[in-house]
Amino acid sequence: MSSFGPLRLPLALPRVERAGDDGVVAGVCAGIARALDVDPTFVRLVFAMLAFASGAGIVAYTGVWAILPAPGDAPPKRARLIAGTLLVVWAAILALRGLGLSDSLVWPLALVAAGVVLLSGRTFGLDEKRARLAALSLIVVGAVVFIGNNTRGTASTLLAPGAVAVAMLLVLGPWAWRLAREREAERAARIRTEERADFAARVHDSVLQTLTLIQKDPADARRLARRQERELRAWLYPDRAATAEGTLADAVETAAAEIEELHGVRVEVVRTGDAPLDERGQALVLAAREAMANAARHSGVDEVSVFLDAGDGAISLYVRDRGSGFDPDAVAADRRGLAESIRGRMERVNGTARIVSAPGQGTDVELELR
Amino acid sequence: MSRPLRRVVLVDDHDLFRAGVRAGLGKTVEIVGEAGSVADAVPLIKGVDPDVVLLDVHLPDGGGHAVIMQVAQERPGVKFLALSVSDAAEDVIAVIRAGARGYVTKAISGQELTEAVHRVADGDAVFSPRLAGFVLDAFRGGEPAADSELDQLTPREREVLQLIARGYRYKEIAARLHLSTRTVESHVSAVLRKLQLSSRHELTRWAAERRLI
Repeated sequence: MSSFGPLRLPLALPRVERAGDDGVVAGVCAGIARALDVDPTFVRLVFAMLAFASGAGIVAYTGVWAILPAPGDAPPKRARLIAGTLLVVWAAILALRGLGLSDSLVWPLALVAAGVVLLSGRTFGLDEKRARLAALSLIVVGAVVFIGNNTRGTASTLLAPGAVAVAMLLVLGPWAWRLAREREAERAARIRTEERADFAARVHDSVLQTLTLIQKDPADARRLARRQERELRAWLYPDRAATAEGTLADAVETAAAEIEELHGVRVEVVRTGDAPLDERGQALVLAAREAMANAARHSGVDEVSVFLDAGDGAISLYVRDRGSGFDPDAVAADRRGLAESIRGRMERVNGTARIVSAPGQGTDVELELR
Repeated sequence: MSRPLRRVVLVDDHDLFRAGVRAGLGKTVEIVGEAGSVADAVPLIKGVDPDVVLLDVHLPDGGGHAVIMQVAQERPGVKFLALSVSDAAEDVIAVIRAGARGYVTKAISGQELTEAVHRVADGDAVFSPRLAGFVLDAFRGGEPAADSELDQLTPREREVLQLIARGYRYKEIAARLHLSTRTVESHVSAVLRKLQLSSRHELTRWAAERRLI
């Protein structure tokens, strides 16, 4: 049941129960009306009119009364269900005959209808396989009776194949629909399983390996954890990580990752906008990398902030630490880091580099390309 | 500096992280309750009526924004500060649009977090560098419908956000721009308001991705 509970046919009815309070006879009409959300008087009228067709309405009423549970009650027992259903079928036959249809049409119709009901999941306690078998037999017998009854007349010979086709559609349609739904569900389940396997493999290759490494050499934990975090982020949020091969922002992220690896500091990169990585961009990234390395080596703090702002024709890149700072004027001329690797590099590509620092104030490196 | 004691509820589904926050927060912040899910957090917050809720963006039974939406009506005085390891703009913007007064990443130090709690309790906004980056991205360029004051940042607000994105604290921004810290705070609060109310496409899209609109 559980395997096909949610896949019920469209024929499956909403839960209908007798109305205990505002029924006129036994609450059958009111209950149906409530389930269909129509005026009870209308339902009563239908039953009353059916009563004129050889009493079909009365029989149907009794049958439905037997089938429907009392308000708030469990569904009725199997014997009662079967008896009720038989009554309803009998009522249907009476009604159809009352409409002037010949027996040759009514009986096969009833058989086919019973088959369809069985297929719809109302199995009356039979297991699914048996119910399906019984349903198919009923339908086949119905079809055979119909064809047998109607091969005499010429008009009926034309009608017969059409009727069979309609019957087949009625029977096989819902069944095929359910089959398709089941296949869909299976496919979804398979995709989920594959995704889980992929995820497990990924976690094993990365996170578990890192944890093992950390257990072996705790001294390296910080660096390893940071690298792991970076990798995991790139995988979980691919839109923020490498969008296309080799953009400016990617190069900055890569440089930041390298500095983290080399120096065991945390480099927080914030970026807005992006630009293709051309020759000037490469110089900018190298200058920024040098600034990050300086911050990591000399500032005495373990966090460096990087902000890349690319757009509207200008690219700005800021590297900041909150560390010891220094007096830029007092830096010996032979300190190549600042003079050559940052300033020289930027000037060669028509960019600017500004270094703002003072002892105890941290350091700001502002790089700009226009 | 003498500061009023702030009562805080901590909502995060990771025990380890909660323990870390408990240990890291200063003496001016008292944790009066903890929850690990939306279902637990909502009655807890309504019950203890804290000053500030530290709220994880990701919770097992719905996002942090679900907590805000179920509490804010009844307890308008409770301030929310979002915490996350997530770098996804739609997560962060979703909690802000739901009413959070700020966003910080979980890598934040205990001292800074304490500072942020007080700031939020005082009615100010707290922006991490990354949130500032998101905002600058979202408000980049002019949109055709940008006649509304809510859909544009002023040059000053943009300047303040750029400094936040660069890693500056409010006090440092104030010094650099020759403003008072109070003025910087009011600029950031104005940006928060725009972030919550603007109909700019990026913001509505990010929020819609978390089914918030």
